[in-house]
Amino acid sequence: MSGVRQALLSNWFIRALSTSVGQKLVMGATGLLLCGFLTVHLAGNLLLFQGAEHYNKYAHKLHENELLPVAEAGLLVLFVLHIILAFSTTRMNTGARPIGYREKQSKLVGGLEIRPHNYMFLTGVIVLGFLLLHLSDMRLAEWKMRLPYDESMTPADHALMVLRDPISATVYILGSLVLGFHLLHGFQSAFKSLGLNHPKYTPFITKLGVLFAIVIGVGFAWLPIWFFLLKK
Amino acid sequence: MSAKLDLTLKIWRQDGPKDRGQFKTYQLKGISTEMSFLEMLDILNEQLIHLGEEPVAFDHDCREGICGTCSLMINGQAHGPDHKTTTCQLHMRKFHNHDTIVIEPWRATAFPILRDLVVDRSAFDRIVSAGGFVSVNVGNAPDGNSVPVPKVNADKALDAAVCIGCGACVASCKNASALLFVGAKVSQYALLPQGQAERAQRVQKMVAQMDKEGFGSCTNTSECEAACPAGISVVNIAQLNREFLRATITATT
Repeated sequence: MSGVRQALLSNWFIRALSTSVGQKLVMGATGLLLCGFLTVHLAGNLLLFQGAEHYNKYAHKLHENELLPVAEAGLLVLFVLHIILAFSTTRMNTGARPIGYREKQSKLVGGLEIRPHNYMFLTGVIVLGFLLLHLSDMRLAEWKMRLPYDESMTPADHALMVLRDPISATVYILGSLVLGFHLLHGFQSAFKSLGLNHPKYTPFITKLGVLFAIVIGVGFAWLPIWFFLLKK
Repeated sequence: MSAKLDLTLKIWRQDGPKDRGQFKTYQLKGISTEMSFLEMLDILNEQLIHLGEEPVAFDHDCREGICGTCSLMINGQAHGPDHKTTTCQLHMRKFHNHDTIVIEPWRATAFPILRDLVVDRSAFDRIVSAGGFVSVNVGNAPDGNSVPVPKVNADKALDAAVCIGCGACVASCKNASALLFVGAKVSQYALLPQGQAERAQRVQKMVAQMDKEGFGSCTNTSECEAACPAGISVVNIAQLNREFLRATITATT
């Protein structure tokens, strides 16, 4: 076993990935790339408000693209890396202080009463649950795990059916808002993990992160809120 | 005008590294607000010695806020409620009559408790021994101004070098991460000409030793910066991350 370990650690990339700093670097990089995915995903979703024909046109264009499987594979790698590293660093962190304090007070001045950075693993796990349900609803719809599906449905019909399902709608609303909360810390923290902290740019990045978190959180939640709650 | 305080102290007592330890409650009367926090503990210990009990063990040395020996989680805050202040410079005027004060040691796997409030911080020494120095021969002193150092870099290096190694960053971090400490040590050399020759291997060796000691990873919460009595900034953590990335990409092995 130690022989295998030695052989693995002789590779520079794996050696870097085995360190706490290397893991956080990759965590930040994958997190930011996933933010890029969220942006494109939300832009696509908002076409539903433009009308079913716009949404269908976009969906067909997207699925006709021969490179889509490559993009999906890349996305899967990003998610898997981000999730594995979350478990790995959390294990490292809980091991670093097995016995906690009887009393612990922050010395930070200002900020939210409930600080997003203290709940990154928890919010991440909740978002993962939301993601799994979402994948079973949409990407793996043909498996008909929970909701009906047939080939004749247009992408917009299918999306609206999912958004009007009470379980999906509830999980999507909560999941999206929790994702926004996750991003409230994640976006700006990713830059720091990548080594980018600069007096000129960091204040802007921090504000941009808050804006991004709100747009993503409320933006995604708005679809089920609109189609399930308001426009039944 | 000095007032007198009656206090309830809840202090972590532990006979040795293997002992399970527990909180014990003590009553103190007539503590002057002019006293420092450590002087208050001195008074408690005198009382305990009078009663034939074991005094509370706690770390202290210069009592001027410069040596980094004192520690203590005071009501859940490293070095107490003040900012940029060590426990020895904390005064009892920050507390109120009839307050209950909870005093705990730094808690981290890498800082094992030796006795009561005293922890073993030699993990920091081993991290510094792994690379926090310049060991190349730099020859004779060069002519003045022949090695230009931008003022801004000299200032930043000095800002990092004021770290007193007390461990408040580790104690206050939810992950017990030592990245502020290691970041300060890495930055102070990375910013100056003398540090360049060993720049890449320094960060790699210090990070490896840090992980070996069992410190956690960094979530960028900035709790360390808020707790640091020397005012070390988290920009040093980003600098370390940058140094690590640079070393990983450019190293030939």
